[in-house]
Amino acid sequence: MTVATLGRRGALAALLGAGLFAAGAPIAARAADDVVIGVIQPLSGPNAQFGIGSLRGIELAADTINAAGGIKALGGAKIKLVTADVPTPNTAAAATQRLISQNGVSAVIGAFVSSTTLAASEVTERAGIPLVTFAFADQITGRGYKYVFQVSPKGTVFGKAQFDYATEIAKAAGEKIDKIAILYEDTAYGTAQAKGLREAAKAAGVEVVMDEAYPLGITDVSPLVNKLKASGAQMAFPVSYLNDGLQIIRALRQQNIDIPVVGGAAGYIIPDFKKGLGDYAEGVLSVAAASGDLIPEVAAEYKKKYGTFITHEALIHAAALDAVVQAMEKAKSSDPEKVRAELASLDYCKGFAQGVPGGCIKFDANGLNASAFPVFVQWRGDEPVTVYPPKAAKQKPIWRGKTVE
Amino acid sequence: MRFALKPGHVVLLLFFIAAALLPLFVDPRGHLLRVAAMALLFAAMAQSWNIVGGLANQISLGHAAFFGLGAYTSTLLFLRLGISPWIGMLAGAMVAGIAAALLSVPTFRLKGHYFALATLAFAEVLRVIANSWADLSGGPVGLTVPFLGTQPLSFAFRAVSSYYWIILALLVIVCVVFYVLAHGAMGYRLRAVRENEAAAEVAGVNTFRVKLVASVISAALTAMCGTVFAQFTFFFDPDSIFSLSGISVRMAMIAIVGGLGTLGGPIIGALFLIPLEEVANAYLSSRAAGLSQLVFGLILIAAILIQPRGIMAFFPKSRVKTPPKAQPATEGARG
Repeated sequence: MTVATLGRRGALAALLGAGLFAAGAPIAARAADDVVIGVIQPLSGPNAQFGIGSLRGIELAADTINAAGGIKALGGAKIKLVTADVPTPNTAAAATQRLISQNGVSAVIGAFVSSTTLAASEVTERAGIPLVTFAFADQITGRGYKYVFQVSPKGTVFGKAQFDYATEIAKAAGEKIDKIAILYEDTAYGTAQAKGLREAAKAAGVEVVMDEAYPLGITDVSPLVNKLKASGAQMAFPVSYLNDGLQIIRALRQQNIDIPVVGGAAGYIIPDFKKGLGDYAEGVLSVAAASGDLIPEVAAEYKKKYGTFITHEALIHAAALDAVVQAMEKAKSSDPEKVRAELASLDYCKGFAQGVPGGCIKFDANGLNASAFPVFVQWRGDEPVTVYPPKAAKQKPIWRGKTVE
Repeated sequence: MRFALKPGHVVLLLFFIAAALLPLFVDPRGHLLRVAAMALLFAAMAQSWNIVGGLANQISLGHAAFFGLGAYTSTLLFLRLGISPWIGMLAGAMVAGIAAALLSVPTFRLKGHYFALATLAFAEVLRVIANSWADLSGGPVGLTVPFLGTQPLSFAFRAVSSYYWIILALLVIVCVVFYVLAHGAMGYRLRAVRENEAAAEVAGVNTFRVKLVASVISAALTAMCGTVFAQFTFFFDPDSIFSLSGISVRMAMIAIVGGLGTLGGPIIGALFLIPLEEVANAYLSSRAAGLSQLVFGLILIAAILIQPRGIMAFFPKSRVKTPPKAQPATEGARG
């Protein structure tokens, strides 16, 4: 084909392209192709703030890795993130499929909400693409799937830790716990964690005097709080996202009910919790999958960039991306099959993995990070601080106003 | 019933043939085919809804109830008893049909908004039951359809194209049922109910029975769509399968945007809305949170403002409707 048959505009484009190619060739020949990694998060809808926090963590990790020279085993290839909003499980399958077949992603990271992650994993498993997630539900790694990896412990483990840690702290403070209350929202996450709590209480011979599910988006918590007051529980374990958690704590404090409250992560440890509750937030305990004070440099970097403290979903998702990158370094490839194989045998204790309690990412045969354990954080001023277990704690826990030694 | 091949029917036939050939020309595992399959499935769902919503003007906002019953019945039968989802699909249709009949008794005395609210509440009740009765339903964690590779007897396939053809076949069945109902004696009775229920009753139409039959058929077909959805997406939970905005409203919306009570309406509506939503998500969802839904919503509002009677109104000859001269009287009577 000659220039004449292309027409004027075509010729111009061809010339421009040739010029660009000639100019860029010496550099472009050395730079490796970008590695595309898919991110699915609820960026709109009721879980948006968790999805946005998660995305920020992933972006921070990608920027840090790119600034440090990209993926070295792939000639300094840069990470390119492709993001899809998945507000509900119904949207997850199509969005995940789109990332895989349109964008050719090497791995997918997400999606915070357990049900959405379960739906997405059905697509990644069949397409043979690794999915690295922070979602809690036990089912995620309980189905024998090969391509799904869970960076944090399972929901039931969180529930058990929520109970065990709290009773240990109470014991150290000289209080014996006989009666507890469990309040949880009836979602996959709430029920899984409540199950862990219930079983731990039973094993410890502690009576559960209130065991109540409530719907997500509950608008009036006063019946719950009245029941809690009347139950004689020495400790309350609410498992909730944000708004319900805020209402429960506010109602308790306003009625001067001073029984210790141990939150179940999610809404209890994000900046909005303090914003919504003010001084009422002080001293509230919660279980958490990670905490910024375990990895201060990253926490400072995050705060500089986004203006708030780093949440555990941001940290764990950053570690998830780092794990994928490490697998690519070891595999010297971004081929999903090879990345999966290296993820399965990964034992990584540097970079963002240090933010995960236990300090490492090492998946067991089911794809669960076996070295991770939950921690307790307690609100001190504007930020939650790691207070338990002692091997990870940065400060001593405070129980009913007294510091526990 | 008199059958005459009209231009609209030719277009529809050509559409079905083109749709059947599509998987031969696109990536059989790709995203495009998945979106096309979802568009056809929503067309089938909206067409099922159209039987009561369009022909009898009983605006239901609770069809997710039947959709979810279909999904749960077939999946639970398969997981617990090993019964093939093909049989489960028929069982689900029966369960949903019975549920629709039971629901009809108290709700058909209700009119307009009250009927819509009652159906909405019914789906919500089922959602709460599915969430709390975990021993039966698996609870809020939802159900996973096991991954079996290709086993046609167990309704399991590797290729998206297999599901696509099943969905297309279901759409054809639903459209045929709709056509037969709309053009038979049943259709006249339903339209009589729509235009003026009291007058229909006086003219000798057993309005309760007509509405009952229509809603049972509509529910059964919706349940079949639910089974196919579960098999196709492999996972569902109570909140997504009994969803008001995700399922119930969407079924009604597609039929309304396409053209209420018309044969082609739900198909055009689904082919317009589902890909539009997907395109909005693909190009906008990574730019700003919620932007894709905002744009989708604005386009939807614009579509309804420009043509309140639906896209089908642009093709006046294909409308299924009563003679124009009857309109003024009925408008008055309805209000």
